Amino acid sequence: MSNTETPQAAPPRALRWAVAGSVMLMIAAGGLFWYASKMAAAKRQHNHDEIVVNIHPHSCEPNALTVPAGRASFRIVNRSERAVEWEILDGVLVVEERENIAPGLSQVINANLQPGNYAITCGLLSNPRGTLHVTPTAASDAAAKAKPSMVAFVGPLSEFRVYLAVEGSALIKAVTALNHAIAEGDLSQAQSLYLPARAAYQRLAPAAQRLAELDNHINARADYFEKREQDPAFVGFHRIELALFAQHTLDDLAPISQRLLADVSTLKQQLLVQSLPPEQLVSIVVRNLNSLADVRAASGEEERYSHSDLNGFAANAQTAHKVVDLLRPMLSKTAAGILPTIDQALGDFDSQLNALKADGGYVGYDTVNAEQRQQIGEKARALAKALDGIDPALGLSGL
Amino acid sequence: MKKTPLALLLTLGLLNIPLSAFAVTAPLDLVGPVSDYKIYVTEKLDELARHTQQFTDAVKKGDLATAQKLYAPTRVYYESIEPIAELFSDLDASIDSRVDDHEQGVKAEDFTGFHRIEYSLFAENSTKGLDALADRLNKDVQDLQTRVAGLTFPPEKVVGGAAALLEEVATTKISGEEDRYSHTDLYDFQGNIDGAKKIVDLFRPHIEQQDKAFVAKVDKNFATVDKILAKYRTADGGFETYDKVKDNDRKALVGPVNTLAEDLSMMRGKLGLN
Repeated sequence: MSNTETPQAAPPRALRWAVAGSVMLMIAAGGLFWYASKMAAAKRQHNHDEIVVNIHPHSCEPNALTVPAGRASFRIVNRSERAVEWEILDGVLVVEERENIAPGLSQVINANLQPGNYAITCGLLSNPRGTLHVTPTAASDAAAKAKPSMVAFVGPLSEFRVYLAVEGSALIKAVTALNHAIAEGDLSQAQSLYLPARAAYQRLAPAAQRLAELDNHINARADYFEKREQDPAFVGFHRIELALFAQHTLDDLAPISQRLLADVSTLKQQLLVQSLPPEQLVSIVVRNLNSLADVRAASGEEERYSHSDLNGFAANAQTAHKVVDLLRPMLSKTAAGILPTIDQALGDFDSQLNALKADGGYVGYDTVNAEQRQQIGEKARALAKALDGIDPALGLSGL
Repeated sequence: MKKTPLALLLTLGLLNIPLSAFAVTAPLDLVGPVSDYKIYVTEKLDELARHTQQFTDAVKKGDLATAQKLYAPTRVYYESIEPIAELFSDLDASIDSRVDDHEQGVKAEDFTGFHRIEYSLFAENSTKGLDALADRLNKDVQDLQTRVAGLTFPPEKVVGGAAALLEEVATTKISGEEDRYSHTDLYDFQGNIDGAKKIVDLFRPHIEQQDKAFVAKVDKNFATVDKILAKYRTADGGFETYDKVKDNDRKALVGPVNTLAEDLSMMRGKLGLN
């Protein structure tokens, strides 16, 4: 075989050359690649944007960092013998972290940092923590003064939707219990379960009032119907209140309480479907407090049969607190000036209601005199006015 | 800086990016999924608290067999919500730190939580001296519930959580180092994967709107991982120990897990949260 020269011998030789050629090319390319990555690595070492942090077995180096606010890149080099993590902490909360950096390797953490003082963990939990001081820049100062963007409201609005979900479930649970007592024919039990059910509704009232028709089935007073209390369309909480507290009877009430249970279940569902723009988060609470100040406080008409108005006012106040707490981080950043006024107004309204507490609940509203009612109304109005300052301060309507 | 339409077209042409890539999700559209994620995390935390109570009860009663049995099914709730749980660095350390995080190793005073208890239960086959650790774990989990309830979830952490979970899988699960004494890593593995899938599902409509192919690819890789994990399911709904996982399956997991980690890290950008 080896002696027989075949005509096909030439192509294999050419192929061999070609293979040799491409091997050479690959070596050259490999060399170039090696050179390029060397250069890149060298460049990276000197990259001013990247802050190199070495993690040694017992410490980080450097252990005290100062960077300007904004985007920063940290290259964490693990020079210890164990896999380690590196974290930037704001109090106990992790701002950014990289876990499981293998020994001998490095990883980059990109962080967008606000001015302030942070702690950094490096490696073992017992290692001393480092410090990260983020200094304000012209850009961060401007950003702090600027009105927040729409993205900044995703957190608070999500949290408010969670609140609606949780309180919606609480309302369904409370009305289920009320419905059960009515079905069982237990009048005194039904009377006492009316209160927690109303409180649950009143926490949702600011949002529920956006759903006009459904809300009428749940919360309308007799005055809104042509034949008032005799009107067959008069259903919901106040129809039940009428029977429980004025007529002292459960007759014919079962279908009405079943209907209420169905309606509050729909309410929860609907509240979660509706999207709430940022300016409405505040304006629905303001509207709710104004109705308290303008009508409900003076007349006591809302709970006219049970006189449990204060139970509802306190629940309204809880939702006002919730909304303020959700916006507090944003307010303290860009409009810290209005926070003391708001907190003062919240506190004043609370103390006004707290002064009327009795036996784990509130006194009957029929025992609250005109002057006290006026005080309640004024405190509610002052709170509404203070909350009205949030919209311009955060630029909600301009979003 | 305003760009003329022509300049914009040229830029797009040069970068070869389809215009649809700029159909960014409106911020308010994120409110639904972010709040649904908090509800999911809250439910998982309730489960974690309930199971931790049962687990630590068994530990304190000295019922080694039950404690060993409950260890993995309890932890899995923590693993599924890790992007939020690990935001609290102090609790994450006291609940879920591994022996490597402590200089003094197993004997370290501050080595507490699941893995410290795991060490006694599985490496020493004992429930001795675990009372204080059991109480501490219960307390820490309840503390976590309270803190999460008060936390406004940062949207970028929620969306970024999907990739974080897959990175967690890539670095600590495939190696089998997380549950080194009990070898129950597959429970945690599934917990991480389920937690990541939940996040993808919540934002699915928003991402599908701009990139159907992306979602299809992610789904396919999730399915591959699930299929391999399913091979090791046991009759009681649990998992075989990690030492039973064949080499070729470990290798087959690496590709899809790494691709998922990489792909999911693009979700933040796709949802305008970078």
